[in-house]
Amino acid sequence: MTILFTVLAAALAIAIPALATAWAQSRIGPAIAASMAEKPELSTTAILMIAIPETMVILGFVVAVLILFSKGA
Amino acid sequence: MIIEMSKVRVLGPRERLPDVLRALQDLGTLHLASPAAAQSLAPLELSPTQVRDRRHLVRALEDVERALAELAIPPGAGPVPHGDLSVADLARWARLGGRVRRAAERLTMQGSALAEERALIDKYQHFYSAFRSLLESEARWPNATAYHVLLKRGDVESIHRLRASLTAVIGDEFELYARPLPTGETALLVVVSSKAAGRVEHLLAEARVQEIPVPAAYGGASLSDAIPRMLKRLGELPGEQERIRREQVALARTHGAELKRARAALHDRLQELQALPLSAVTPRAFVLEGWLPAAALGNLQTTLAGTFGNEVVVSELSQEEWASEDAPVVLSNPRVFRPFETLIRLLPLPRYGSIDPTPFVAVFFPAFFGLMVGDVGYGVLLAVLGLVLHARSRPGTVLRNVSEIMGPCALFSIIAGFLYGEVFGDLGARLFGLKPLAFNRQEALIPFLLLAVALGAVHVLLGLGLAVASNLRRHPRRALGSGVSALMILLIILALLAAVHVLPGGFFTPAVIGVLVAFPVLIVLEGMVAPIELLSMLGNILSYARIMALGIASVMLAVVANRMVGAIGSVTVGIVFALLFHLVNFAIALFSPTIHALRLHYVEFFGKFYSPGGVRYQPFGHWTRSTA
Repeated sequence: MTILFTVLAAALAIAIPALATAWAQSRIGPAIAASMAEKPELSTTAILMIAIPETMVILGFVVAVLILFSKGA
Repeated sequence: MIIEMSKVRVLGPRERLPDVLRALQDLGTLHLASPAAAQSLAPLELSPTQVRDRRHLVRALEDVERALAELAIPPGAGPVPHGDLSVADLARWARLGGRVRRAAERLTMQGSALAEERALIDKYQHFYSAFRSLLESEARWPNATAYHVLLKRGDVESIHRLRASLTAVIGDEFELYARPLPTGETALLVVVSSKAAGRVEHLLAEARVQEIPVPAAYGGASLSDAIPRMLKRLGELPGEQERIRREQVALARTHGAELKRARAALHDRLQELQALPLSAVTPRAFVLEGWLPAAALGNLQTTLAGTFGNEVVVSELSQEEWASEDAPVVLSNPRVFRPFETLIRLLPLPRYGSIDPTPFVAVFFPAFFGLMVGDVGYGVLLAVLGLVLHARSRPGTVLRNVSEIMGPCALFSIIAGFLYGEVFGDLGARLFGLKPLAFNRQEALIPFLLLAVALGAVHVLLGLGLAVASNLRRHPRRALGSGVSALMILLIILALLAAVHVLPGGFFTPAVIGVLVAFPVLIVLEGMVAPIELLSMLGNILSYARIMALGIASVMLAVVANRMVGAIGSVTVGIVFALLFHLVNFAIALFSPTIHALRLHYVEFFGKFYSPGGVRYQPFGHWTRSTA
């Protein structure tokens, strides 16, 4: 039972930030694409804007790894 | 590094201003700026004649540029005509530009019209071919009317319905032919006696079935008349397109070189007119001010002294007389670091007097990229791709710089690949028994995570160190704040390491006391936002965990690709799938680590010290392609 909860916790730790990242990028993507259509020089900003929400899912991944590999698991 | 600049003032008699400007244009080193306001000085305004000349030059230049673009003349500055340009030369070039532009635009329009016509006929060619055979049947009905219909893909049922409806309305006074087209659609030809035509049209209208439109170019003609003409026209079009192409080539060959000369000369003359308002004058004298690299000052003084003797004086302004924020910026780095300036130029230039981060990016960017990709096989592929790009690009272009960035990235990927023991994932271990020199990424997740975060700590602390160095002279309080932040982060890391017994426990208490002492100092120096910034810096360090996350994703995809060989029944199919999967993984490995390594630099690293807003160094000189 403990293993089940551990795996579920790890899955949620990555799934929820992944959904949040997807939602954030779905809003940023169209906005930055529209901006770049008018100002192509914003390409660097576009890279940063798209990459910034990915921090959430990466930290989620780290937490999932820590849950799976912690001593009690 | 950002090279040292000098600000100079050039003084001379007013009547020599055009000659001095011409000499400065020949030298091409002085970045002109408006002289500081002074009571006796007035900015020079263009005379009405010069304003009119400028308008004419702009129009002529537009004509020349447009003509060059229409004729697709490859870029290149062309020979720049130095020396005095006569009004007659400029007028001749303006006329030439207008004439060639009109001729080139006419040819382009004709070419586009022919291409459109060809595309239209090509599009319906299958359709027309199918109808041509049907129309032979139409010829056997002298007193009949033909209707041409196109049914959508898979709409075969409609044929039966149409046949049933026609039988119900006009009995057997019709013929219906159907031909499948290569596009999947069905061409229909319905031939009815002329006296039943009205009822059939009504039936088709009710069923909302539309006849095929005859292209507008053949307006008025029926389809049966238009088809032979279209097919004949299709045979003529390639010849006409070739004639247009030959005329364009001839036009480019006749006038290309002269147009390039005209472009350079018109640009030069325009730059000269635009430089005039940057000078200030008294009734008898002129003043010009500008920046140039300190190393080029001697050459400027010698050249002007040699040309104008004592008439023109060049003096260097002291550092106190100008604000460093206004000075233009020139990045100058060793050859090996120079390609990485491309990554810096994606952002606004750093301010004069701040730090050029190119050398640090040149070291850390390939290192982060290599740690993420970490595979000997992918590294070798990347090196090959870089060599191909290098061979196919011209020096000084972005593509050449990208190819030169690929080299170090490939090298670091190969080194990291040996550290992790990976050649196309676990293929190296399975085929050659390759062992990791450091650790196996697939299993040692925690050590990899610690390595990534430790690298983050080093990178962020380096950023804070650079902030101290950058602000030390002009903003000592800010420099001190950055220093205290760096110290606190270091103490927090020491305390954490002591808490998890990586360091001896004796480090814990002094480190915590150090943090408690430094905290109020930081608030005094940087205000109440300091604790939030400190937390965000710790978040920045954790953000480097993406190096581990992307690395794990990369190796896992490679391992999955290798397992396809055994997982799918046929070995050959398995190998093909594995190769395709590796190709996809390689494409991801090119894109994703680049974006994330860039982000780590732009956000986490540059955020500590980078001071954007530098002015680009644009010396007043002769026009070349690179200054466009």
